[in-house]
Amino acid sequence: MLDTTTQPPSVGLSTVPRYAGWIGRAARSGLYRHTIGLLVESRRVRLAVLAGVPLVWIAMLHIGPILQMANISLLANYPPQPDKSSEYTLANYALFFSDRLYFLPFVRSLIFAAVVTISTLVIVYPVAYYVAKIVQPKNRMRALLLLLIPFWAGELIRTFSVIMLLANRGALNVLLREFGFIDRPIPMLYTFFSLSFGVIYLLALYMLLPLYSAIEKIPTPLIQAAADLGAGPFQRFRRVILPLSKDGIVSGCSLVYLTAVGVFAAPLLLGGPNSVIFPEVIATLFHGSNDKWPEGAAFSMIMLVVSLTTVGLFMRVVGGRSVRLM
Amino acid sequence: MRTYFNDLPKTALGASYWIFAVYLVLPLALMMAMSFKDANFIAFPIGNWTLSWYGKVIQDKQFLEASLYSIGIALATTISATIIGVWIALLVSAENIWGKAVIFALACLPAVVPGLINAISMRIFIRAVDIPTGTFAIILAHTVHAVPFVVIMVLTRLRSMPANLVDAARDLGADPFIAFLRVTIPYLMPALFGGMIFCVLTSIDDFVRTFFLGGYQPTLPMLIFAKVQGGMSPEINAMATIVLVVTTAVGLYAEHFTRRSRS
Repeated sequence: MLDTTTQPPSVGLSTVPRYAGWIGRAARSGLYRHTIGLLVESRRVRLAVLAGVPLVWIAMLHIGPILQMANISLLANYPPQPDKSSEYTLANYALFFSDRLYFLPFVRSLIFAAVVTISTLVIVYPVAYYVAKIVQPKNRMRALLLLLIPFWAGELIRTFSVIMLLANRGALNVLLREFGFIDRPIPMLYTFFSLSFGVIYLLALYMLLPLYSAIEKIPTPLIQAAADLGAGPFQRFRRVILPLSKDGIVSGCSLVYLTAVGVFAAPLLLGGPNSVIFPEVIATLFHGSNDKWPEGAAFSMIMLVVSLTTVGLFMRVVGGRSVRLM
Repeated sequence: MRTYFNDLPKTALGASYWIFAVYLVLPLALMMAMSFKDANFIAFPIGNWTLSWYGKVIQDKQFLEASLYSIGIALATTISATIIGVWIALLVSAENIWGKAVIFALACLPAVVPGLINAISMRIFIRAVDIPTGTFAIILAHTVHAVPFVVIMVLTRLRSMPANLVDAARDLGADPFIAFLRVTIPYLMPALFGGMIFCVLTSIDDFVRTFFLGGYQPTLPMLIFAKVQGGMSPEINAMATIVLVVTTAVGLYAEHFTRRSRS
């Protein structure tokens, strides 16, 4: 990047006096000149300056917490207490598989996330296609913006707004009763329905953006050529559009799935006793009066590994060539 | 007949777009409408309309404190995430660095770890290194969450930067630091701006990390959450509407700015 081995360091400082004020004084100071001289002369110093902070940050805060979580998940007791053993054990993992109270919500969580992902894909795909291919290019940004604005509202406010719609005296029930379809309100809130409705509402954007950018890249002449060669709408979709938007489908589904697995505020507000999913179970282990960190850490590890492997396998099987996060 | 069949998919797609748009906007519109209801409870139909809930919210000291607290955390998060994100992006984009792909993958790690796990692992981490729960812990967790997105945005921009721009500046006599300050940073500005807006909005929005790492002082989402859980009144709607309008204004401004700078 900074290949200046042929230049003497002193040449590099000729523009510095142009700066006035304290910046100029700092730039003309001996310390600054000395530091910059080191930077220009030695590739090793340059590399250390460039790599030091990022590597320490990544090691400490991106990897460190997960390693520490893995560590605690193997402990019999945490924090270590004098009268109890603090040996390494697999008991916390065994507990997960032996107790239905933990195992069932976990399975429920995975199925829930999968259902949410597939529903979001089915709902959002035609919308993304419409914006990317049918809306006139000059109106495209506006059409996209209309869909983006609700997402600036934030997670909690959007979750709360779903309550306005689905509550017993919410808009939907009142409307249905007004038209005489029902006598008493349908209890929609605090069920799996309200939870899925809310989570799809929260995560649709993560599907929309990757799909939109993938579909937009498909050359329109290709679709027209397929039509000229006699392919009907369904065949065009199945043989041309779908394979070419695979990258968008893979990254959209991965994003939605990973977020849906770990969704936390929505189940607290929209879920009920019959729709307890795994995040709530984990949270009680950390927040309840009983401090059960090792169990909680073990369960978190299980959830992390399983959700990442699921997504990894999905990417492998569907095989997006260049899978990117954004 | 033929044109009818040709137009059918187009009409259906258009309908799907508009149904989806209504689906996105309707709950929020209902929520805003409810903030004008002249009664102590949330229920449709609205009946009498009033502005008194807004008066109440504006005088609510708790709301004001929580807003300022959230904004402070968001600004601190933005500054630290931008500095670290740019630094990592520069490292990854530099040539002749061994293991670049691994560094990039690890830099993106917090973006693929589910939010809850992220929050829990940070909670465990700060206990291990003796950082108390509270403001600093929240900022740290928000920064960890925001860094990958800044890295990706800055990297995308860096890749489109002509390599000889910095070389030219160096040939003209700028030292590496001045070249970085006066050539690289201005070129990165659109990506930096986008990244900063992203940091502010995600930090102000964040619930799960604050839930696990926060102290006794509530941030805005924590306050709204507590109010929703403990008895609902249209006051929450007024509060949420104010937050919604402000964040949307920030988002629209950012969108306007990035589009203008692109063209």
